[in-house]
Amino acid sequence: MSNQKKRSFQIEAFKHRVVVDPKYAERTWKIIEHAIHEIYNHNASGLSFEELYRNAYNMVLHKFGDKLYSGLVTTMSAHLKEISKSIEVAQGALFLEELNRKWNDHHKALQMIRDILMYMDRTYIPNTRKTPVHELGLNLWRDYIIHSGKIQSRLLSTLLELVHKERTGEVIDRGLMRNIIKMLMDLGSSVYQEDFEKPFLEVSAEFYKVESQKFIECCDCGDYLKKAEIRLNEEIERVAHYLDVKSEAKITNVVEKEMIANHMTRLVHMENSGLVNMLLDDKYEDLGKMYNLFKRVPNGLSMIRDVMTSHLRETGKQLVTDVESSKDPVEFVQRLLDERDKYDKIICQAFSNSKTFQNALNSSFEYFINLNSRSPEFISLFVDDKLRKGLKGVTEEDVEIILDKVMMLFRYLREKDVFEKYYKQHLAKRLLSGKTVCDDAERSLIVKLKTECGYQFTSKLEGMFTDMKTSEDTMQGFYANHPELADGPTLVVQVLTTGSWPTQATVTCNLPTEMATLCEKFRSHYLGTHTGRRLSWQTNMGTADIKATFGKGQKHELNVSTYQMCVLMLFNNYDMLSYKEIEQATEIPTSDLKRCLQSMACVKGKNVLRKEPMSKDIGTDDAFFVNDKFTSKFYKVKIGTVVAQKESEPEKLETRQRVEEDRKPQIEAAVVRIMKSRRVLDHNNVIAEVTKQLQSRFLANPTEIKKRIESLIEREFLERDSADRKVYRYLA
Amino acid sequence: MGIQKDMVKFNVGGRIFQTTATTIANAGRDSFFGALFDDNWDLRQQQQQPNSRQEFFIDRNPDCFAVLLDLLRTGDLYIPSNVPERLLYREAMFYGLTDHVRSAKWGPFDGNRLKLSRSVTGRAPGDGTAIRAGPDGGCCVAHGSMVHVFDWMLEEHPPINLDYQRVNDIGWINAENVLISACERLGKGDGGMGLFSSSTGDLRHKFNVVHDNQIKSFTAGALGFSPDYKIFASCKGRSNEYGIGVWDQVTGKQMDFVYESPGWYLGDADKLQWLNGSNCLLVATLFPRKDNCYISLLDFREKRMVWSWSDIGAPLTIDEKRVRDAIAMEECNSICVVNEYDDLGFIDLRINGGSVRWSSRSRLLKGKLPDEPCYPKLALHNGQLFSSMNDCISVFCGPDWVLTSRLRRSYGGSICNFSIGGDRLFALHSEENVFDVWETPPLPVI
Repeated sequence: MSNQKKRSFQIEAFKHRVVVDPKYAERTWKIIEHAIHEIYNHNASGLSFEELYRNAYNMVLHKFGDKLYSGLVTTMSAHLKEISKSIEVAQGALFLEELNRKWNDHHKALQMIRDILMYMDRTYIPNTRKTPVHELGLNLWRDYIIHSGKIQSRLLSTLLELVHKERTGEVIDRGLMRNIIKMLMDLGSSVYQEDFEKPFLEVSAEFYKVESQKFIECCDCGDYLKKAEIRLNEEIERVAHYLDVKSEAKITNVVEKEMIANHMTRLVHMENSGLVNMLLDDKYEDLGKMYNLFKRVPNGLSMIRDVMTSHLRETGKQLVTDVESSKDPVEFVQRLLDERDKYDKIICQAFSNSKTFQNALNSSFEYFINLNSRSPEFISLFVDDKLRKGLKGVTEEDVEIILDKVMMLFRYLREKDVFEKYYKQHLAKRLLSGKTVCDDAERSLIVKLKTECGYQFTSKLEGMFTDMKTSEDTMQGFYANHPELADGPTLVVQVLTTGSWPTQATVTCNLPTEMATLCEKFRSHYLGTHTGRRLSWQTNMGTADIKATFGKGQKHELNVSTYQMCVLMLFNNYDMLSYKEIEQATEIPTSDLKRCLQSMACVKGKNVLRKEPMSKDIGTDDAFFVNDKFTSKFYKVKIGTVVAQKESEPEKLETRQRVEEDRKPQIEAAVVRIMKSRRVLDHNNVIAEVTKQLQSRFLANPTEIKKRIESLIEREFLERDSADRKVYRYLA
Repeated sequence: MGIQKDMVKFNVGGRIFQTTATTIANAGRDSFFGALFDDNWDLRQQQQQPNSRQEFFIDRNPDCFAVLLDLLRTGDLYIPSNVPERLLYREAMFYGLTDHVRSAKWGPFDGNRLKLSRSVTGRAPGDGTAIRAGPDGGCCVAHGSMVHVFDWMLEEHPPINLDYQRVNDIGWINAENVLISACERLGKGDGGMGLFSSSTGDLRHKFNVVHDNQIKSFTAGALGFSPDYKIFASCKGRSNEYGIGVWDQVTGKQMDFVYESPGWYLGDADKLQWLNGSNCLLVATLFPRKDNCYISLLDFREKRMVWSWSDIGAPLTIDEKRVRDAIAMEECNSICVVNEYDDLGFIDLRINGGSVRWSSRSRLLKGKLPDEPCYPKLALHNGQLFSSMNDCISVFCGPDWVLTSRLRRSYGGSICNFSIGGDRLFALHSEENVFDVWETPPLPVI
């Protein structure tokens, strides 16, 4: 068959359609259209929902959904055009009200129309992928009303004007505002953002730019911050009252940028009222405001912190390098503590106890405390002062507080071993002179040092306490064994372990014979109970109570040092003694002897001796007599030795040297420890590790570490790598 | 007794019904009744005369209204014999109560409580290709070049086809849209993949494959879907463009294409499965489409196979243990496979190239195969594993996959395909064009 012959049949499809009244669709639609008119005209009470629903259902059922839908669009559009006109003609303030009223009408009408067309919404619309009725109504409102040329710009300017009015203190109708904004949000977030939020933020930025400029010219820092805070809160409140919650971050951002970020430097450095002045005057409230506001902007807090740190370092530096304050160690430390308390309080009250600020405070203190090399000594002296007398009548908790504060300062010290040296000396004096006020406080401090620096740091200090305790027992044992001694002079011996106590050159003086025999008895008793020990007398550290009768029979008990006791006892046999004779008889070192004679002959009220010639200083040619005219209103007289509480320059150098000497084995030990575990390590790493290991005790000096390494190489603990001279090897 | 204030009187097609506003409120706002009693529709007239309340007239069938009113009262659906189901559904549509009816008809899916609810016969001959359950209780069945669509009432909608080309797989995008993959016709740009309206059967979108900026015709095989709106399909192009294509469901545009590497088959895959946890696509190409079985996991971010398994080189005695279907079980880190004797096997997903651990459970079946065997199929639903064999479906539960139920019905021959969705299980038979609908009955009254 050829293609040309092929006939094409046209077969008509069999139309299987129920014949409905051709005007059926038109008529039904008219009913629904009429109902829509009535709904918009507030005339819905006469309508039957059932009839309308059924008609809309039937239209969809009989495939007239297209007609129904397009009819709806046309009718609703026509109504919205009318509404648009009536809104346009509304004058002045009535504009927004009219818009709001019409919106409410439309919204209600839309709801009712959707009810009627529910069946279409459920079946016809998803099948044809058309816009659902509710969304359609909103879209049409947006296109015909909100985006109509005559309304769009007017609406925006009206809204912005109202916001401006409110900012300048006028009262506006917030309810109306809220309704209009809500409408914009209902139309979709893009409508709200494009038609209101964006311009609103721009206008706000401009407003706050101008206002902040005005404020900064005429206000001091505190006032400015107050005003900025008020504005910020106003904006947050505005969002809560009538804007979208999502706008809050955006508008506060604008205020933060315009009012704070742009003026940050100027505010902080404002003359007479800036951050430094606030810190000086303890203006917690203003500082708190500054903290809270600056927290909101990038780099705000770091700026406050930096200014605070540099100010603190500057004042701290002045404090520790001030020559005046170095004269009184107690005052020096007290001022440090006061400074710390002050900033602690500021950080706690104004800076919400922020960790970074605390760190800044700590690093600043660490920086300037170590600027003065005598800080460890002073802190120890401060503790000494407190424990000697300062803690009388103070409760246990307060003692703890003071000690904690001292520990805080202690933590800042880089040379903790220096502190230990001094502390040991001071503690020894306190213990031996029986001057310590409160044993508990002493022990509590030791515990604190132990938790801070470890067992090693305090083991010797604890040893000192143990010695005191054992000595007590030893003395009891001694007198129990020698009941015949009860009538004679009483001897109290404290047996000190060598090494635990600060070493001092032992120059034993000649004791009076009564005492010498007593001491000999004790020695034989002690060595009898303990084998393999050696006793040597530290006469420079003892005290004595002696009873004396003066010329007119006045009796006194004199509380003196061992040296003084030796001198005084000489006068039992002689009325007059020359300096040379005293020196010969007692063999007390010259400087000590001079000091002890000075305290007995030259101090008013304590002058149990008389000197010829009468002068302030002790000469080698002076002669001494018992002062028969000595009087005192007290029975007990305490004769102190003239001692320099603070170390003198040579003593200081000596301590320093001892500290350096003590550090050497510690550094060596650390090097060996590290090398033993690592076997091979290069120079820089050794230095770093050693510094790290020792930093809880002191800051090791790299050149010193290097010297120690050299010494260890000499002694063949280590060797240099043959290939790389910078690398050390451990020699087991 | 006080006056019942919320009493409501309806006149439906001439019959009077009395009920209460609270009962009616069960219908919800998005229904005829919800709108009727909304404040917008001014019903003051009736409220003014509390004693002689006016009745609401509704021009509908009273018998159906009675059934639906009882549904609102009790939550139970009872259809008397004099009310045709179809009519009742239509009335439910009118009132906006279809969701109520559907949820009263069958309960949440449980493989161990299933009851055969209906068997639906179609006019096509046997040898169906695939059946797929829709998300709302409907299904679609592919026969040759046609796909028949059924809604949840099991009413058939206009059938759909892609240029009358042989259909390879079907899948539901959502309740409204069905995707079809079909063979291409030589020399024409027909076939490929199309998206259809499930209710009207209209073609909504045709998916293209682009190679070197040129649109190519192709044969689409197995389909897969991911929750982030991606469509996967195994594709065979004419000039050896074999591989897996990826499209965006929303835009309909091709997003990606992974070509198969020599010696490994992707474009002919029997099964695609998206694995949410590992963000990978399982691709299984099985015997007898190829001589061997190839299972692999594709990672599209790296464009490579991150896991693979094959039975190439396995001992010959295993011809009775050919993998016929595979399904990944991410919770157990394994892939479950099945052979033609209904033995289940497991492959560990954590070991690359591991072996199959068979659980030889049903040796009994050996030797009494039916005349026209169907390859077994697997499905996983809510921790229950389903496996079809001959004319029954086995349900396995628990960590050790214990056989807990068997679904069997003798009519229609072997089950060639089954699918679970919309709280229903659909099983398609091979000898007759009939499919069974299994539902979980609603919970008992007490």
